[in-house]
Amino acid sequence: MKQFSALLLKEWRENLRNYKIFWIPVVFILLGITEPLSNYYLPQILDATGGLPEGAVIELPDPEPEQLMVAVMGQFQLIGMLVLVLAYMGSIAGERRNGTATLLYVRPLSYTSYFLSKWLMASAVSLFSVWAGFLAGYYYTAVLFSAVPFGEFVAFAATYSVWIVLVVTLVLFASASMPNAGLAAGLTLAALLVLQLIHSLFGSRWEWSPLRLPNYAASFLDIGPDANALAWTLVISLACLIILAATGIWFAKRNRAKTKV
Amino acid sequence: MMDERTILLVLPILVLQIALMIFALVDLVRNPNPNGPKWMWAAIIVLLNLIGPILYFVIGRRNY
Repeated sequence: MKQFSALLLKEWRENLRNYKIFWIPVVFILLGITEPLSNYYLPQILDATGGLPEGAVIELPDPEPEQLMVAVMGQFQLIGMLVLVLAYMGSIAGERRNGTATLLYVRPLSYTSYFLSKWLMASAVSLFSVWAGFLAGYYYTAVLFSAVPFGEFVAFAATYSVWIVLVVTLVLFASASMPNAGLAAGLTLAALLVLQLIHSLFGSRWEWSPLRLPNYAASFLDIGPDANALAWTLVISLACLIILAATGIWFAKRNRAKTKV
Repeated sequence: MMDERTILLVLPILVLQIALMIFALVDLVRNPNPNGPKWMWAAIIVLLNLIGPILYFVIGRRNY
């Protein structure tokens, strides 16, 4: 436990000094603000970029606030996910290269504490960023259009948070198992893309798949997901998370020989 | 077209982007060994807004 808190302090300092704790939330907030704002100014943007004949009148219906929140989530799924993967791809693989690992691995290190301290810090920064981004988007949507009921919004963001934690665990697992940071990012992105592809091809009946989490999050803003299916999805997500973390710890230990001295 | 409301709405985006740029520039100045020439990174950070600072933090910092 003492070792865990020492390692957690190290992670905290690292995230502070490489500014991850500042720039990742800023990126998510910018993504969250841009979506409702560009929808609000869509008529002016269309006007300024031209392409419409003189006197053409188009009536754009006001977008539903729920649609805007789902659009913000779509941005997070694309750019946000890429930012998180790139930011944390080197957590373990990078330490083997830059020498930090040499300082750590010569000591009697508990690899469980080592992995979990990184996991906790990365999850905390990611969740903080995602919530900050969602709240910024929620605020702008409420000011410019109308507010989503706050309870539905919280359920939506909370369900999406589970998905984010799962992705962070996957990144750390990849970082522990791959020889360098680039391959770790490649593995994570490839896994996410391939799984999403398979899911969209064959997965119409896989109601319990963790990949459904973003869909269930979005459906909280609509009629609400099937409680039974959501509960099973959460159970399976938790199982995936534990398996990924356990194999990640095992790989972190096995790959210690790959450290560059 | 640039009425007061528009300015108030867009101001947070501007502030955040400038903050991100300043974070990146301060870090670049204090970084003894960035991944590539410093003037190149300075240009990327200042000219490509949002993407420039992210690129610097991810690739230019050499923290892995």
